[in-house]
Amino acid sequence: MFPSVDFVGKWRRWFAISGVLLALGLLAIAIGRLDLGIDFQGGAQFTATGADRQLGENEVTDVLPPRIAEKSVVTTLGNNGYEVRTPVLSGAESQEVEDALSEALGAEVSATTVSPAFGEQIRNQALQAVIAALLIIVAFISIRFEFSFAIASMAALVHDVLLTVGFYAIFGREVSLVTVVAVLTVLGYSLYDTIIIFDRIRENAPTVGYNRRRFDEMVNASIRQVVRRSIYTSIFTLIPVTALLIFGESTLSDFAFALLVGILAGAYSSIFIAPQVLSLYKAWRAGSVQRSPRSA
Amino acid sequence: MGSTRNNLIVLGLVVVLLGVAAYLIFLRQPVTESTQLGLDLQGGVSAQLRGSQTGGGDVSREEMEQASDLIRQRIDRLGVAEPDVRVQGEDQIVVQIPGVENPREIIDIIGRTAQLGFYQVLAVEGSPNTPAEEVQSVEDELEEDLKDDQEFEPGETKVLFEESPALQGGGTDVFGYVVRQQPDLTGEALQQNGANVAFDPNNKRTVSLQLTTEGGDQMAELTQEMLNEATVSGEPAQLAIALDQDIQSAPQLNEVLADQISISNDGLPEGLPEDEARQLETVLNTGALPVNMEIISQTTVGPTLGLSSLRSGLFAALIGFALVLVLLVVIYRALGLVAALALLIYAFLMWGIIVAVPVTMTLPGIAGIVLSIGVAADANVVIFERIKEEVRRGRTSRAAIQAGYDRGFRAIVDGNITTLITAFILFALSTGSVRGFAVLLVIGVVLSMFTAVVVTRALLGLLSGRGVQLSPGMMGVSKGDISAERTAG
Repeated sequence: MFPSVDFVGKWRRWFAISGVLLALGLLAIAIGRLDLGIDFQGGAQFTATGADRQLGENEVTDVLPPRIAEKSVVTTLGNNGYEVRTPVLSGAESQEVEDALSEALGAEVSATTVSPAFGEQIRNQALQAVIAALLIIVAFISIRFEFSFAIASMAALVHDVLLTVGFYAIFGREVSLVTVVAVLTVLGYSLYDTIIIFDRIRENAPTVGYNRRRFDEMVNASIRQVVRRSIYTSIFTLIPVTALLIFGESTLSDFAFALLVGILAGAYSSIFIAPQVLSLYKAWRAGSVQRSPRSA
Repeated sequence: MGSTRNNLIVLGLVVVLLGVAAYLIFLRQPVTESTQLGLDLQGGVSAQLRGSQTGGGDVSREEMEQASDLIRQRIDRLGVAEPDVRVQGEDQIVVQIPGVENPREIIDIIGRTAQLGFYQVLAVEGSPNTPAEEVQSVEDELEEDLKDDQEFEPGETKVLFEESPALQGGGTDVFGYVVRQQPDLTGEALQQNGANVAFDPNNKRTVSLQLTTEGGDQMAELTQEMLNEATVSGEPAQLAIALDQDIQSAPQLNEVLADQISISNDGLPEGLPEDEARQLETVLNTGALPVNMEIISQTTVGPTLGLSSLRSGLFAALIGFALVLVLLVVIYRALGLVAALALLIYAFLMWGIIVAVPVTMTLPGIAGIVLSIGVAADANVVIFERIKEEVRRGRTSRAAIQAGYDRGFRAIVDGNITTLITAFILFALSTGSVRGFAVLLVIGVVLSMFTAVVVTRALLGLLSGRGVQLSPGMMGVSKGDISAERTAG
């Protein structure tokens, strides 16, 4: 497939496409569009389901106790559901909100409250988990392949994670604990495509010494051999994930959104980022070896 | 491609496993009860508590275990089904209770340290008929005033409050009391199971406290002293009964008390409200927690929300599953049929494992399964694409299948190990529903390697052993492709 595309040589073009998307995402984060949910900051969230009465979001805000109402955000869920997010509440206050909602809407009210201290703990754990995952994966790839492959896949992974978070900011979706789980899953999964390509590069790699032109051509050929496979594997995972995004509610659609972006980013980075980084890193290493007088 | 005998053994094993799964899912109990649902799917309460020492300092593992036992006992006394109470990490306890009707009461009861204390009241000030929203500010004012009282000595004494429904008129009667820093008598004076809901002569509900002999003596001594002081000062003696930092009741003393004390509320016609009395009885009889507990997160999910999450989750999963099956057959024809069959086997065995372990199904768990369906299909795609590639190079279908499995397997194992790594990290660093996701992802990935690689290979092996030769067209490779590759190669 794609016999005329120079995957490796045109790396500037592929990196530019990612660069623009990444820049947009980082910009969105910089202007504060990233919406950290109550899992990270502490606060309360009420979900009213099966409401008998249809009220506008403003009308729902009006039924809340006044001092809580000014700090809360009401959103509509589907036909007869509402979600209310507030800052941290005391037990009595949260009971007040529950009662107010269930009375005004005739709905069943579910509630989650998280203290700021717990939010901080979650934040730290999430960060630890992501860093631990990255390190272990690098170690694994260094063992199974070689260090240069690990560098390249790490670049692809960081790309995927940043892009996913950036898209959360661009779309203004709430980041929750589930998002972190999804991002971690993406870390493991987006590597799948990269490994399939690296596996082929490893298979095709010449046993004789390194030559940049020859190596890049071999990488190009390897990508061509497996690109269809990469696209199909991504499609086969994206289908059920898309079904979750469309038909799943709240948690599931959040999860699916992160997976969808992450898997797409992963598919892209496995073809257009990781092999190119590998090629550039190899060339840079060869160059620096040549410049050093002892090995010249 | 393995001998026919090996293939038959693999398929025989699959049939046995399917049989076991079918028994576990459908026959051992009604199918509707076979799968354990998490709180987010069936409704319920979960809370996470953090323990701390009053003066700072670390809590020990034993203290946390003890606290979690006490919390379990308290919930049991409320007669709620199957609470799951676990110590997590160094200083946290997770409580999960499925399908409860009175979540608020449970939350109130589990986090209370429930340290009973009897205090001599040194000074008192009150504000009757306070509207609900002003209680806090009134308490702040009372505290200011009481700190100016001559009885208040910083470090030696503290101010505690009592809030009770007003005797006459509306609102809340708020009282602030200056008492000593440490209780004059603690809950240790209480006899085992000594707290009981009772009714006083006016038929008002109270909680009676039966003290131990020693406790009774100390109580007599304390109250005698208080009465003596009252005779000197001319002000009535008052005994405050506190649970943690809340005064429950502060009766005036007319006589020396002994081993029978009661907590009452004269403000209400019925005495203490029924649920409050029951809570007091429960927490006092199970005893105080060895450490202070603070609720750091809590979730209540109503049964309707749970059911609708379950429905939408299953619907989405089934749609995704069906589309994957269809696509497999469309792209890979005969090979796809075999893979689709393997995927159906996979799904059924997965269900069997979930019931057998049992794994509690949660929303993230559903997502994990859906993802693992994709992963399972991927394994077949990797192998089949390799097979098609070999066919295009002009190999016979038999040789191509052999090569596809041999070469594809290595990439699949490497690819899946990275997913397993992240799943293990998730498991180690997380709790509750996220753990469910990690467990399902691990089971799914391992099981998918079995069904997508071993089972499909055995099926294809048997087919070709029976003399069924797959033509390139049956594998989704067109004739033109083959010649094109040949000339290109």
